[in-house]
Parts: sequence; C-alpha cells; structure tokens
Amino acid sequence: MFYDLNIPYTTNHAELQRTLAFVAELGYNTIAISVNLSGKLPTDLTSPIPSPLPFSIPPSLHILTRCTLTLSDPSQNHRLTSLTSIYDLVAIRPTSEKTLQQTCLSLPTIDIISLDCTIRYPFYFRQSTLLAAIDRGVRFEICYAQGILGAGEARRNLISNATQLVRATRGKGIVLSSEAQRALACRGPWDVVNLGIGWGLGKERAVEAVQREARGVVVGAEMRRRSYRGVVDVVYGGEKPVVEEKGKGKNLGGKGKEMVGKGGKRKAGDSVDAAEVVVDEAEKPPSKRELKRRAAKARKAVATENAGGPDNAVEESTTTKENDDVAMANSKDQG
Amino acid sequence: MVRIKHRYLLVNILYPEPPKPQSTARAPLQVPDLVSIHQPTSDDLTPQLLVKAIRDQILLMYGDYGSGVTTTGLLVKYLSAATSTAIVRCARANYQVVWAALTYMTHLPRLPGGEKLQPCVMQVVRVSGTIRKAEEEVIRRGRAAILKARRASRNEGATGLDVALGPAKEGMLSEQLLGDEGLERGVEDDEEDDDDDDDDDEEDQEAMDEND
Repeated sequence: MFYDLNIPYTTNHAELQRTLAFVAELGYNTIAISVNLSGKLPTDLTSPIPSPLPFSIPPSLHILTRCTLTLSDPSQNHRLTSLTSIYDLVAIRPTSEKTLQQTCLSLPTIDIISLDCTIRYPFYFRQSTLLAAIDRGVRFEICYAQGILGAGEARRNLISNATQLVRATRGKGIVLSSEAQRALACRGPWDVVNLGIGWGLGKERAVEAVQREARGVVVGAEMRRRSYRGVVDVVYGGEKPVVEEKGKGKNLGGKGKEMVGKGGKRKAGDSVDAAEVVVDEAEKPPSKRELKRRAAKARKAVATENAGGPDNAVEESTTTKENDDVAMANSKDQG
Repeated sequence: MVRIKHRYLLVNILYPEPPKPQSTARAPLQVPDLVSIHQPTSDDLTPQLLVKAIRDQILLMYGDYGSGVTTTGLLVKYLSAATSTAIVRCARANYQVVWAALTYMTHLPRLPGGEKLQPCVMQVVRVSGTIRKAEEEVIRRGRAAILKARRASRNEGATGLDVALGPAKEGMLSEQLLGDEGLERGVEDDEEDDDDDDDDDEEDQEAMDEND
C-alpha cells in the first residue's frame, strides 16, 4: 500500500481526473485531495470538494479529503475541531519559528505538519520541538513536487529543508508526498523512496515514509474521529438482529411460531394453527394478556418437544441394533 | 577474475498529460487514460539521445563530481519506442544517482524533428543485477499491460483500442501467464543474484548458430 497524502484540489475536474488516473497508474493506493486555507477562516466551512467526485475514479484508488491551513499568527484562534469534522486529514503549515513551536507543542487534533520546503527558514529546526510533535502522533511532511518542477532556487531550498528535517527528526515520523499541481510532477512511490534516500533518510525510513508512517496518519485520524477517546473502537461487532426483533416485537406469538417451525417434527395440525394465528395477527393487534398466553403456550410447546427428543433417540438406537443383528445374521450365513 | 558490477534500471516512460487534439479529418481514437499514459514514444528517440539526456540531468543535479563518478558504464542497453520502455545500465556503486536523475527528468530530450519538448515521467520499475531479470520483467509487464488495457477499454466502453489492438484472441494472453502477482510487485534489488548473465546468453546464441 502506497500513500500520497497531498494532491491539491483544482476546480478543473478534467485535469484532476487525469492526475488521479496517473497517480493510480504509478502504483499509489490511497491519496488525499487537499484544500488550502489561510488567514481567517470563513464562517461557512463546507468542503469545496464534491462528494462523490463527479467523474470516474480508478477502482484501486482510495480517496481522502484534507485541508492545509497556513498558520502565520500564533494568537489567531482556529476552529480546528470543526475542520476535523469536515476533512479526513488536517494539516498545518507554519510559517515562522513561533508558529512552528506552537503547532508542535500545543495545537490539538492535527495530523500533519507540512512545512513549505521551497522557502528558506532563518532558524534551525530544534530537535526537542520536532520530537515532541512526533511523540504526540503528528507527522512531518516533505512535498517533493516543487523540487521537480520548480526552478533552481526552490529545488535547492527543498533539498536543504529536507535534509534539515531529516537531521532534526533522525528520520523518524516523516511522510513524503507530492503536492503536485500537475500530473507531471507526480513520481512513482519507489522513485520517491530513492529521492528520500538522496536526502539522507535511511532506506528503511524512506520506504516507511510512503507506507507505514503515512498509513499511521490516515488510521490515526480516522480513529480520533470515530473511536471512543481515540483509543477503543469496535471494528466488527457481529451481526445485529435488529430487523428481526422489530418484526417480532409486535407480538411474541410470532416468536413462538418460529420455534414451533424450527422443531421440524410437528404434526400437520399445529402448523395450520400457527398459520391461522398469523392471519389473526394481521387483522388486529392482540392484547397484552393474549400475548402472554401465547408466550406461555410456546414455551410449553418447546418443553414438550425437548422432552420428546430422547424417545426418538431410543427408537433410533433400537433400529440400529436391529440392523446390526441382521448384519450379523448375514455374516453367519456367509460363514 | 573480478567482474565490473552493474545495475540495470528498467525505466517506463509515461505521458501524464493528455495528447493535444490534432486537427485531422479523422476523429481521434477514444482510448482510456491507462493507454494514453502508456502511449508509444516517438521513433526519433534513440539510445544515444536518451543517454545524453541522462548525462545532462546528472550534470544539472549533481555537478561535475556526480557526472564523473557515473559516466563509466552508463549505457542504454535497450529502448523500445513502441512500449516506451528502456533498460539503462549503470555502475553499481552510484546507481541511486542515476535513478534520482531519471526521477528529476520532466521531459524527453529535444528530438530532431520536434520543435517542442514533450513532457514525460521516467518511472524506474525495477532495479536488477542482471539484464536477464530486467528482460523477464519487461515481458511480464508487457503482457499485464495489454490485459489491463483491454479491461479498461471494456469498462469505459472505448472502441478505439479494439481498432488498435485487434480483436482479442482466446488463449493468447491469459491471467495464468502473468504469475500470481500481476503488476503490483514494484522495484526490488537482486542483491544475491549478481551474475552477469547476458554474456552467457550471447555465448549460447553463438553456439546455436554454429550448430545450425
């Protein structure tokens, strides 16, 4: 499973569709379509990404939504929790040392810290700050597209920032994604791994950056939204017989009837009775007293049926014994 | 005797941008995205041009030093324009440099007849220690690609591909031929399998010729 967690959203749907087809062809399984937000958030926070997308997407591709919020003022109050309910992933793009520190240490409910790698930062990334963020489960993202399509300056800055991030985090908790405005900037997952190796990530870490770490982001975000306090989640709770009980909730007679039916060896008359009962029920709902009576009757019927079981077994055993005798007699004859 | 060790990079040339609609009288063939991504390369692209493009890219990305350490042994062993596939040989010590240079390429080299640069993506789909493994991978991928293209054209109801490929023949291509894994295997190194088998193959070929 390969992940590319940053495909920018464009309103040009033909191009987006082409990009998705190309990304699927490169071998990615899960991608996130990203919306950029900055400054003061509008009151109306609805996602501009139509759901479902108005064109055919490759069947192998799993699509998520994501927003990237550019953070320039540390005092600004962002309604992050409301963003979490709209988008699958929430990414923060800090622009200064102060906002980076705030993002790493205190911002709740974020998944990714996506530094803009094409500009030069006039400060060192501090290891303690970044590791604190990684301990909280937040991952750092390096977007490689600017390094491929961008001019020399952007490419140099990207490589410089990427190596600095790798140094400060020791290669842990890094996610590689594209941020490709055009399909031309996307690269295959293994090519991205090789780029990561060139930036000083170890081979294992580079593979993890497109597989395990990215999956951790996706699963963690889903858990936070769906589970109990981000810890406990019911994956499969078994079949819930809700519909059946509703049908029978009206009357217990129905339940008794089913038990009678299950018994198998009933007389023909009983089944006819049951059918009549059903017809009656359809005409008017029975009273509580009637229901209780029927339930008692059903219980009784089951009890008698169970009691009848051993008799049958005895009968069967006798017949088998007879068969054995016959077989022995036959063998004697042959002897 | 100690042999010079190489790596063989199997490269797919992909075309992410849709082809420009040509103003011909004939309506353009309707092909699925899958097929137009894997469209054939121009016949004007020669192995020499491709090697030169790779060298230029290495010079741009890694400078004189990178260019110097990779220049010996860099060779395009195989280039198929029809399937947009190439096998690039490079020295084993620095294959990652060559690979990264391929990744950073964004367009084909300027072709003799063409006036515009054609955007493309070079995807390395296999890194192999022997050319034989790379060749086997080419064949496997070619088969899988045809099957996939047929399926895609059937799903999208595009008719252009049947014109191009002809009607499907029964038994010619079956899923069993592809092995269990299909296309999803990706890149891997044959670290332990490092014999240069192409020499042996050539010898076999010569021996057969003599017998004939």
